[in-house]
Amino acid sequence: MQGLLTLLITMPFMTALFTAVASGRLSQHVARISVAGTAVTFFLAAVVLWQALAGHAVLSVTFTQTWGILAIDPLGALLASVISGISLIVHVYSVRYMAEEEGYGRFFVLLDLMTATLLLMVCAGDLVTLLIAWHLVGVLLYFLLGQDMRSRSAHHYAFRTFLTYRIGDLPLVLAAVLLFDAYDTWSLSEIFSRITADPLGHEYLGLPLPILVAALIALAAFARSAQFLLHTWLPYTMSGPTPVSALMHAGIVNAGGFLINRFAPVFVHAGDVLHWLFVVGLVTALVGSVLMLAQSDIKKALGYSTMGQMGFMIMECGVGAFSLAVYHLIAHGLFKGTLFLGAGGVIKESRRDDRVPKDDLYTFVVERRPPRQRQPWLLMALITLAVPMTILVVAHWLVSQDFFQQQGAIVLLFFGWVTGAQLIFATYRMRTQNVWRLFTLIVFSFAVVIVGYTLISHAFDVFLYPDPVFRTQLYAAADVDIFWFDVLVVLMTLVVVSGWLLTYYAEQQGRRHARLLAGLWSNVYAVISREFYITALYTRLSASLMGAISRVNVLLRWV
Amino acid sequence: MWSYATLALAALFLPLFPLSMVFNLLLGRVQGGLLRSLVIMLWPQIGIGILHLADTPVPAWMATWGALTALLYAVRALGLRDMGSWIGFMVTSSWALLWVAETFGSGGGLTHLHALFFSVPPVLFVLLGEGLTQRYGAAYTGLYAGLATTLPRLSFVLVLVILATAATPLFPGFFAMLTLMLDTVPQSAAMATALALVWLLWSGAGMRLLTGLIIGNPGSTVVPDLGYAATLGFLAGLGALVVAGLYLVGKML
Repeated sequence: MQGLLTLLITMPFMTALFTAVASGRLSQHVARISVAGTAVTFFLAAVVLWQALAGHAVLSVTFTQTWGILAIDPLGALLASVISGISLIVHVYSVRYMAEEEGYGRFFVLLDLMTATLLLMVCAGDLVTLLIAWHLVGVLLYFLLGQDMRSRSAHHYAFRTFLTYRIGDLPLVLAAVLLFDAYDTWSLSEIFSRITADPLGHEYLGLPLPILVAALIALAAFARSAQFLLHTWLPYTMSGPTPVSALMHAGIVNAGGFLINRFAPVFVHAGDVLHWLFVVGLVTALVGSVLMLAQSDIKKALGYSTMGQMGFMIMECGVGAFSLAVYHLIAHGLFKGTLFLGAGGVIKESRRDDRVPKDDLYTFVVERRPPRQRQPWLLMALITLAVPMTILVVAHWLVSQDFFQQQGAIVLLFFGWVTGAQLIFATYRMRTQNVWRLFTLIVFSFAVVIVGYTLISHAFDVFLYPDPVFRTQLYAAADVDIFWFDVLVVLMTLVVVSGWLLTYYAEQQGRRHARLLAGLWSNVYAVISREFYITALYTRLSASLMGAISRVNVLLRWV
Repeated sequence: MWSYATLALAALFLPLFPLSMVFNLLLGRVQGGLLRSLVIMLWPQIGIGILHLADTPVPAWMATWGALTALLYAVRALGLRDMGSWIGFMVTSSWALLWVAETFGSGGGLTHLHALFFSVPPVLFVLLGEGLTQRYGAAYTGLYAGLATTLPRLSFVLVLVILATAATPLFPGFFAMLTLMLDTVPQSAAMATALALVWLLWSGAGMRLLTGLIIGNPGSTVVPDLGYAATLGFLAGLGALVVAGLYLVGKML
C-alpha cells in the first residue's frame, strides 16, 4: 500500500521526464505520454480514495529521518482524486487546444510537473515537504501562465501572480519554523497530536503559539486564494492559455482552503483567527461578486467570480465549517473548470448571435409572442421562508436531534438560505411563458441548495473529521458571543427581506424614482468598473518603488 | 577580542555596506568569466576564515548590519538590467546574511557550507553571462529579447540557475535560508522577518531579470545556442548542487 502512495506522487514526475525526453522525437504525439501518465495517476488516486472511503488507516511513507514524509488521510485522498481528475480533463482538452502553440511539449511537461507538485502538497506529511510543494506551485504557475514566450503582457501578469504567491509563502515558512522550534519535529501528525495534548504549552511574542501559527497560515491561504487586497493578480491572469486558467481556478487557487483544513488541529485552538477568516472571506466574497457583475469580458468575469467563491470558502472556514469549505472547493473547481473550458465556445456562439436583447418588446413585435409572465413576488418571498424551515425540520430528524442547538448548524443553514434566496431572486427576475415549470424548478433548486448545505456538509464532516468531539470543537471555536450572533442573524434576515421589499416597491412605483438614483448609481459604477482603484494604487506604488530604486542605484554609482 | 581592523577586514570579504561597494567595484573590473567565478567562490570563504580566526562571538549589531545590507542590495537588484552588476548585488545580499548565520547559528563549518551554496549558482550565472557577452557583445536585459525562442537551451539553463540563485527549492539556497530562519526565529522575530523579506526580494529580482532576457519577440541576429555538451554539463552541475544540498544541508533540518 505504501508503494501505491509513492507511485501516485512519482507517476506524474516520471511522465514529465518521459515527455521532456521524448518531445524532440515524437513532436505532437508526445502529448499521448502525458495524457496516459495522467490517466494512470487518476486511477491510482481513485484507488487511494476508495481505500480511504473503506476506512483504511492513514498511509504514510518516510524517506529521510527528519522530513520527506508522504501521508494519505481522507483529506489528501479526496483532493488527490480531484486534482488528478481535473488535471486529466485539462490534459485531454489541451491536446488539440494547444496544438498550434509554440512549446507544445514544454506545456505538457509543465502540466505534469504541476500535477505532481499539487499531489505532493496534499500528501505532504511534514512541514518541509509541504513548504517545498507550496513554493514550487507558484514557480510552475509562473511558467504555465507565461507559456507564450513572446507575450510580455502574459509574463507581466504571471510575474504579479508569482510575487503574490511568494508573499504568501513566507508566512507559511515562519509558521513552519515556529512549530519546529516549539516541538522539535517536522512531522505534521506529531505536531498536531502534541498541540492537541497541550494547546497552550508554547508562547511566542506573548501570544499562544496556535494563535500565531494560525494567523500566519491564514495569511498564506489569503495570498493563495486571492483574498481581498491580495486578489489583484487573479483577474489579470487571463493572458495565459485557457487550459491553465481552468487548472488554476479549479485546483490551484483553492489551495488556501486545503491549507486551513490541513491545519485544522491548530485552528481549533485559535477562535479569534477564525473570526478574522470570516470577516476577510465575507469582504472578499462581496467585493469579488460586485466586481464580477461589472465585467464585460467573460474570462475576467470568471476570474472575479472565483475571487467571490474563494471568499465564500474562507468564510466557511471562519464559521468552523471546514469540511463544507472542502466540498465548496471541489464543487467550485468542477464548475469553474467547466466554465473556463467552455468559455471559448460561448465566445464563438455569441459571435453567431445577432445580440438583440430578447426582451418583452422583441418577443411581442418580432417573434409575435405574448409577453411572458413574472411570478408573484409574495409567493417567491414565502418560498424563501418556507423551504429552509422544512429542511431544518428534516435535518433535525435525519442528522441530529440537537441540530437547533448548534450555532454552526444554524450558520450553515444561513449560508444555504442566503444562497437560495439569491437563487430565487435571480430566477424571479426571469420571465417565462410556463410559470409552473419555472416555479417547480425554483423550489427544487432551493431545496437542493439547502440540502447541500446541511446533509452534504454532514457527510463531508463525517468523512474528513471522523472524531465527533473534534467536529464539535471546531464549531465551538468559531462560535461568537450569542448577542453578536443574534445581531448577525437578524441583520442577514433584514438584508434578504429588504431585498424582497425593494423589489415589491420597485414593481409598484415603476421607474418614477429611477432618475433620482441614476447619478448616484453612475458614480458607484465608475468606482466599481475601476476595481475600487486598488490595482491602480498597486501599479502606482510599484512604479514609485522602481523609480526610487533607480535613484538609489544612480546615487550609489551602481556598486 | 575583536579589533576594529579585523571587523573591517571581515566586512570587506563578507561585504557590508559601504564596504560592499568596494567588492562590487572590484567584481566589475575583473575581466573573464573564470576569474570572476574564482573571486565569487573564494571571497566569502576568506571572510569567514577571518571571522573564525578571532575565535570570539561576532557582536550582535554586526548581524543587524548584515541583514540591512542584505535588504539594501536585494532591493537594488530589483532595478538592475546588467547581468554582471545583478549577480554582484545578489552575492553581496546573500553573503551579508552569513553575519546573521555566524551570530545566531552554530557557525563553524556550516557557515562555510552556506557560503559555498550561496556562491555556486552565481558562478554558473557568471559563466552563462559570459556566453551571452560572447554572442551579443553584452549581457543586458532590453538589448535583446526572446532568448527562449532563439536560444532555448541556454534559456532553460538560465531559468534553472536564476531559480537556484533565488533560493528556490530544491536548490541548497532554500535549505540554507530555512536553516537561517530556524536559527533566528527563537531569538529575534524582527531578524526572521527581515530574512523573509530578503528572500522575497531575491525571487522578485530573479524573475524580473529572467523576464527581461528570455521573453519577447526575438531580434534578427542569429547566434548559436548553447551546445549539447555544455547544456548537459550545466544540468549535471545543477543536479549535483541539488543532491549536495539535500545531503549536506537538507538532512540537518
